[in-house]
Amino acid sequence: MPRLMDLGISSVSENLSEMGNMAQRSLQIALDSYFQNNRSRKKVFELNEKLRSLEDEVGDIATEIVARYQPVAKDLRFIRASMEIAYIFWRFGRYSYDIIDTVDELHTGLDCNKTAVMEMSSFVLKAMELSLLSLRTRDETIVEKLYELDSTVDTLYRKYLRGTINANNKDDWKVHSRCDICNILILRYLERISDHACYLGDCVSYLVTGLSSPRR
Amino acid sequence: MSRTLKGPEEELSPTLQVSKVSESVEIERPTEVKDIPPAKLSIRNLEAWFGTKRALKGINLDVRENSITAFIGPSGCGKTTLIRCLNRMHEMTPGASAKGQAILDGMDMYDAKVDPVTIKRRIGMVFQKPNPFPTMSIYDNVAAGLKLNGIKDKKLIDDIVRESLEGAVLWEEVKNELNKPGMGLSGGQQQRLCIARALAMQPEILLMDEPTSALDPIASSKIEELVHGMKKDLTVVIVTHNMQQAARVSDYTAFMYLGELIEYGDTKQIFENPRMELTERYISGKFG
Repeated sequence: MPRLMDLGISSVSENLSEMGNMAQRSLQIALDSYFQNNRSRKKVFELNEKLRSLEDEVGDIATEIVARYQPVAKDLRFIRASMEIAYIFWRFGRYSYDIIDTVDELHTGLDCNKTAVMEMSSFVLKAMELSLLSLRTRDETIVEKLYELDSTVDTLYRKYLRGTINANNKDDWKVHSRCDICNILILRYLERISDHACYLGDCVSYLVTGLSSPRR
Repeated sequence: MSRTLKGPEEELSPTLQVSKVSESVEIERPTEVKDIPPAKLSIRNLEAWFGTKRALKGINLDVRENSITAFIGPSGCGKTTLIRCLNRMHEMTPGASAKGQAILDGMDMYDAKVDPVTIKRRIGMVFQKPNPFPTMSIYDNVAAGLKLNGIKDKKLIDDIVRESLEGAVLWEEVKNELNKPGMGLSGGQQQRLCIARALAMQPEILLMDEPTSALDPIASSKIEELVHGMKKDLTVVIVTHNMQQAARVSDYTAFMYLGELIEYGDTKQIFENPRMELTERYISGKFG
């Protein structure tokens, strides 16, 4: 017979699952808008708003579960982790919105070199996918792969940032400025998404093992 | 009886885990090392019977000084039997027996030379149902043990009665009616009176067998606050069916099942990250 608390836990699980899908879609749309020069700001904005509202909902249900059922052990860890995971999904959505905002503000009318963003985004999309997989399958070992991907993403970000600075020392800053700023901002948002994918992996690790982040 | 195992002076982890009833005691060191208070009472291979029925199967654990240890587990798991073994009350039940060691500050309570009365002075007990002496006043309920132990100094008795009632957070409520019958108090007050009666003997350890199960939530909460405050002066062992109560008041929790100690550790660890599946299932309300 299911416990009363299980209804709330299942509701939180469903919300997290929906949020994960929305966050993934949100980033994909934002990147497509840059790569394919289409305008999808409204869609990403709506997804971001929905993610924020679901984050609130997860917090409300989690608080109610704590107040009414005093969860312990795995239930308690799930509740604690779910609030952080919901926040991470909202951050995914927010960074996706920041990307599309940057594209709208800086990239309109330009045809920038997208190689760096393409290269990094493939790693970040992979990290996001893996983090969602770790949550779905409760596989805490995936966190190690997320750390590896994050390290690659960090390296790429620093490489591109230094490259841009060096190039602008030699060349005419005005020629490159808008594209460089656009790319660096997008890369920075992608780098943050990668960090949050690691945090999600940490949450799954805590949920399964009860131990805090292996990296910390 | 008396097999020599690890003495109380040896520092054992609170996450002491018992794999079998046999002599071997498997100690698991915690990942996070905290300041662990010394053992006040070390239980080693303690077994208890009711006739031929074995109620406790080789219990090993260290009750930490100036801390609160909760025993939890489903009905019939042996928690009350264990607590009654800790001040040698178990053997007073006809047909009941116990063997093993319960080492209090280096003294094996089950040594043939030890007088059980001495043990009961050092280890007090509070029961599930408040049980004031029915014909006695509030004052006499607290003073009874002192008088039985030959204390005649009226001033001394007065002082101890007051200190004990203060210690049980009852003084302010009864100071003007000390001569009224103890039975005239509310259930929660009666239980605090029983705690005051136990405190009057200045025990080093206080055993509490489901002390709030017959009380309403407000009275229960007062007892919990009282228990929490008492640990600065003594060591408390509490048996409870209420897992939230164990989580709220205790520093260490022991989970028992079918006469065995399944898991013992820091309360936060037991309730957040139990190591044994059985503990997890019990505290999550999946059985019991």
